[in-house]
Amino acid sequence: MSQDHSKNEFEKLSAGYLAGRISRRHFIGQAAKLGISAALLSRIVSFKASAAESNLLDSSPDYPNEAPITKERVEFLKTKPYKGQTINILVLKATVGDGLKYWVPKWEEETGGKVNVAEVPIDTLHQQIFSDLQTTHRYDAYMTGAWFYGDFFVPKEPYIIEVAPYLKDPKYPYWTPDDWIPAMRTLYSWQGKVYGVLFDGDCQILYYRRDVFDKPENQQKFKDKVGYDFPNPPKTTKQMYDVANFYTGWDWNGDGQNDWGIALHAKVNEQGFFHFLTLAAPYVCSPNNKYFWFNPETMKPLINSEGHQRALEDYVKYLACGPKEAISWTLGQGWNLFLAGQAVMEPTWGDLPTFAQDPKESKVRGKVGCTIIPGTTEAYDPIKGQWDKFDLNSCGNVNGGTWHCVISRFSKKKDPTYDFLAFMATKKNAIYNCTHGFTGVQPGMKFEYFPPVGTGKVEEWVEQGWDADEAKRYLDGYYQNLSLPVQESYLRIPGAAEYWHELDVRLSAVLAGQTQPKAALDDCSQSWERITERYGRDKQKKLYAESFA
Amino acid sequence: MEVNEIVQSKAERGFKYALLAPAVIWIIGLTFFPILAAVRYSFANYVLGEGITAYVGLANYARVLTDGAFWYSIFITLIFVVVTVPIEVCVGFVLAWIITIGVPGSKVFRPILTAPLFTMEVAIGYLGVTLFTDQGGLYSSILAALGIHIDWLSTASGGLAAAMILDIWIWTPFVFLMSLATLAAIPKDIFDAAMLEASSHWQVFRHVAIPLAWPVLSIAILLRLLEGFKSFGLPYALTSGGPGTSTQLFSVMADLTTIQFTDFGRGSAMGIVYLIMVSIVITFFFKQMRKRMN
Repeated sequence: MSQDHSKNEFEKLSAGYLAGRISRRHFIGQAAKLGISAALLSRIVSFKASAAESNLLDSSPDYPNEAPITKERVEFLKTKPYKGQTINILVLKATVGDGLKYWVPKWEEETGGKVNVAEVPIDTLHQQIFSDLQTTHRYDAYMTGAWFYGDFFVPKEPYIIEVAPYLKDPKYPYWTPDDWIPAMRTLYSWQGKVYGVLFDGDCQILYYRRDVFDKPENQQKFKDKVGYDFPNPPKTTKQMYDVANFYTGWDWNGDGQNDWGIALHAKVNEQGFFHFLTLAAPYVCSPNNKYFWFNPETMKPLINSEGHQRALEDYVKYLACGPKEAISWTLGQGWNLFLAGQAVMEPTWGDLPTFAQDPKESKVRGKVGCTIIPGTTEAYDPIKGQWDKFDLNSCGNVNGGTWHCVISRFSKKKDPTYDFLAFMATKKNAIYNCTHGFTGVQPGMKFEYFPPVGTGKVEEWVEQGWDADEAKRYLDGYYQNLSLPVQESYLRIPGAAEYWHELDVRLSAVLAGQTQPKAALDDCSQSWERITERYGRDKQKKLYAESFA
Repeated sequence: MEVNEIVQSKAERGFKYALLAPAVIWIIGLTFFPILAAVRYSFANYVLGEGITAYVGLANYARVLTDGAFWYSIFITLIFVVVTVPIEVCVGFVLAWIITIGVPGSKVFRPILTAPLFTMEVAIGYLGVTLFTDQGGLYSSILAALGIHIDWLSTASGGLAAAMILDIWIWTPFVFLMSLATLAAIPKDIFDAAMLEASSHWQVFRHVAIPLAWPVLSIAILLRLLEGFKSFGLPYALTSGGPGTSTQLFSVMADLTTIQFTDFGRGSAMGIVYLIMVSIVITFFFKQMRKRMN
């Protein structure tokens, strides 16, 4: 009881200190009375020194493009500190790349620096990053997918640099990793150290048409056909399939054309395999098992377990509830089907509700419901080799790129490079990013979520053109997913891109009817074994364990 | 006198070597060394960030030769080449012949026919997505109006057929241009004389135009074969090798293995096996060509 009391007191005290409401001396004195160790206090104080100690201003009229801003930063910018310096950044040719480019002229105007942005498509991004790191060192920073991280740490000296030293210096744009939702912070870090600068925060949840689901006549039709009450929204994968199947092949939106139950995209060498990873998670991950990829003891693949196999069999059925051509669709084509009002559900990233706000792009503004990915009533424990029963086994995920930039250790212009990346991470700019579809950015910081889980305000989202209720539903669904007790682990070991590619082509082959789920996953398992051997089993095992840490 | 000749011949020799030097440097630097490096990597285990971690003997070759995906990609590449190259050669040559004999409007057709040749393969690949998509693609819509439905981009055969159609569209003009230049270089009198003897344009085409154009035509076939075996940008942009691996030509597979996933060992072994196979095909083709010319 008294321990809990001290903990609560200390949390209040820390929050007050970090928010600037109480002084450093008062904080240290009170914390010491609560019995907090000097080591912990020193860490908090040194973090506070990162910027807030230097009198954080809500904004500065001279530099309206970033907020909050420190006084030191204001003085620093007066000198046009990067005049004559050019930095080069390699980004993904997609919305996230556009999002980064949006901020270039604003940063250039403030600092006098120049940013060259090179864009490459997703299928060559990994190759371009690592060939540059090994040869030309042309780029100062790279936009990376979180699954490339393991490859950055193969050499004894990592290819990328830690950003902690910059965070302590108040002359740089103000942001703090402590604002991250914990699940997101992990994806920007390696062994507890932060290497990435805030940009994107991906996870997949289920979006659906509330207006269509709520129609009593549709609900009655569903009950007549399927034999049970309409699940609004679906809670299990079986319900999701029944709903998708029910809404496939008839004109439920009244436009004269038959519509679809689900929108997916499954082109090989794109991002479609994330759909499978997301939908498969509750078939394998459960309170009894957290391993989705490998057996941590042997590094043997688990990808051909009975759970994965059943998930793939169901995935084939889901895809049949959308246009046949979805097998060769890219991400945008999947979104377009939902935004055009022709699909009733889509499990995907937060870009979808963000794009839905734009009446030019969307027919579904104000009609989008958001919920966590449906769960299962049984999950296969691949370590013990048995099916476990549950009332409902729901599993969260952070699937996606969580696209953000990291700084090359070979860069000769690390300071301006960090400055630009941190500029985009300031609160004002981060909120702008995650409220606009063209940036491809999703929320990962506490100040982007509403109370009680975050410190954001719904007005901030409405100002950016959001429907207030839709913003609440979206963030609620997103946060629910991130805070589920069972989470699918994210593969971040060296060669992750290769492991996923091997899975991707086999998923595509199954969807195309070239092969069967079991044969495809067995074959995938063998190819994963060869990749593990190539990288070294013991090294991979160690890094796999570390990636969990 | 003799001394002068020796001095002159030394100077001449030096000049010859100087002229040859750029070509020799080019071949050694950009062909010889890369092949040597590929041979070296093909016996090695390569890991990104660490480089060569071990030499593994013939393990990479064994893995390539027992890999079903590798042989499937060879099979798909062969189908691609065997279908596209003959069509491109035949259609390109026939079109050149039609222009040569002077059908009305030939001046208009010439630039229209050659336009695709000046467009990047990758761009044509992406254009193909918009032409063949079920969601209002031009070809799909036209065929749908005629009551025909083809799953161009969602099936293996459809994807491969779409890639072939686009390849033929791009590269037929290449054969057309070479053939046109060859036919234009043949004196018109020969065709006029042949027309007096023959009963139709077809006979002149078959017995005069083809034999006279054959030396250049065979070069066009050779170049198309080589390019066909290397075809990459178009199929990659159109289907990325999918669905599954159904349209994964060898070049796409080699790119994924070697460049994207930095498995230089297996990728190099794959490349060397392929180089040997293509060399055998090309050598056979050369022999046949020589026989025919003799």
